[in-house]
Amino acid sequence: MTYCFHVGICICLVLLQTTIMPYFHLFDRFYDLLSPFVIYLSLFHSLRQSIPVILFFGIVMDSLSGGPFGLYLTTYIWLFVGVRWIITFLHVGDSFLLPFIVAAGVLLQNFIFIGTIAMFEPGAQFLSAAISTVTIQVLWAIFTGPIFLIFFNYFHKRWNSWLKKVVVKEN
Amino acid sequence: MIAVNIILLSVSNRRYQSYGPGRIAISLIAPFQEAVSRSIRFVKDIWVHYFFLVEAAIENDNYKKAFSHSVERNNLYKELKLSNIRLRSLLDFQKTITDKVIAAEVIGKDPSPWFKTIMINKGKDDGVKKGAAVVIPEGIVGQVAEVSLHNSKVLLIIDPNSAVDALVQRSRARGIIKGGFADRCVFKYVLRKKGIAVGDTVVSSGLDGVFLKGLPVGQVSDVVKPNSGIFQEVTVTPCVDFEKLEEVLVVLNLKKHMFQSEQ
Repeated sequence: MTYCFHVGICICLVLLQTTIMPYFHLFDRFYDLLSPFVIYLSLFHSLRQSIPVILFFGIVMDSLSGGPFGLYLTTYIWLFVGVRWIITFLHVGDSFLLPFIVAAGVLLQNFIFIGTIAMFEPGAQFLSAAISTVTIQVLWAIFTGPIFLIFFNYFHKRWNSWLKKVVVKEN
Repeated sequence: MIAVNIILLSVSNRRYQSYGPGRIAISLIAPFQEAVSRSIRFVKDIWVHYFFLVEAAIENDNYKKAFSHSVERNNLYKELKLSNIRLRSLLDFQKTITDKVIAAEVIGKDPSPWFKTIMINKGKDDGVKKGAAVVIPEGIVGQVAEVSLHNSKVLLIIDPNSAVDALVQRSRARGIIKGGFADRCVFKYVLRKKGIAVGDTVVSSGLDGVFLKGLPVGQVSDVVKPNSGIFQEVTVTPCVDFEKLEEVLVVLNLKKHMFQSEQ
């Protein structure tokens, strides 16, 4: 049932990102909403619960995006591995560190994207545009990233308690 | 007695005089009457106005609801009117294209700011094929990059992976329109000796076998002639406002195009 919750949340995030947010110019350069979700998975869930969701939505995002196929998948896997590595020596459950973890995740994702574009389009002149886009995304991530993480965690707890009630009633 | 009474009444009726006791009685009673009637009027006023206010409040609520409904309906009509104008313009444009085209609605945009694609609500079932040209009356939008049964992904001309064979309308200088950044395009491989000025219109050459010849692509916004090299650096601002893109036309008979261009 945890998978259902994760899939539901991811679908909502993808729809929000591809259909609702483009109507608001404020979010023109907002970061990928699935990044905080991948961070949330790596912080609060097991490998078995996270990997299938990451693989599935990596492929979904690759299908929706105009980038090379596998770019989102690669990004999410590296993000997951990176955060897993960080939590071995840093206590990031602490809310003080959350904004920086999300910002670092967004930064990593952008580096992978820029690297890919530079690799496939050598000579592309996008440095100034890239710097401003990355800066804006990182700032958004610092201020709104932890809210998403707290939101995911809260709703997962609510979902679990609701499931328990349903199971108890059925028994 | 009755007769006397009647006579007295008729006499007093003719003279219209008020007598002392009558005036005193009036003077005594009148203030009370006035006070009582004022009080009654006051209570009546409060009563009537209170209920009036309650009724007015209810009416006000109803009017507010009706007003919000009207505003909502008005917005809907405005939206329909705008959509009608856009669709009419698409229809007029469709008449100018000899090829078979299909109108599609934009249903989603690329999740990443680094890549520029849109999703449309027409797919394989509607005859859309990979590589089909996507246009609107203002100019070229892009090319179908992926097709599913009912939807397709369109690669916009502002995407770094996109390329369109184009020429400058005035000087006929040829080059390739590639996606740039900040929603602009780069006109690549244009020879230095070719004269290009800011404001020139760039149109499709039709040589790529995808787009019809002469479709507007954009306007030259910057020209840089480096000291060395054989090409000049030209920046083009697309004619299409990709932020406001809602409906597009997909050209369906791609093979015929390819054949024509090959000829």
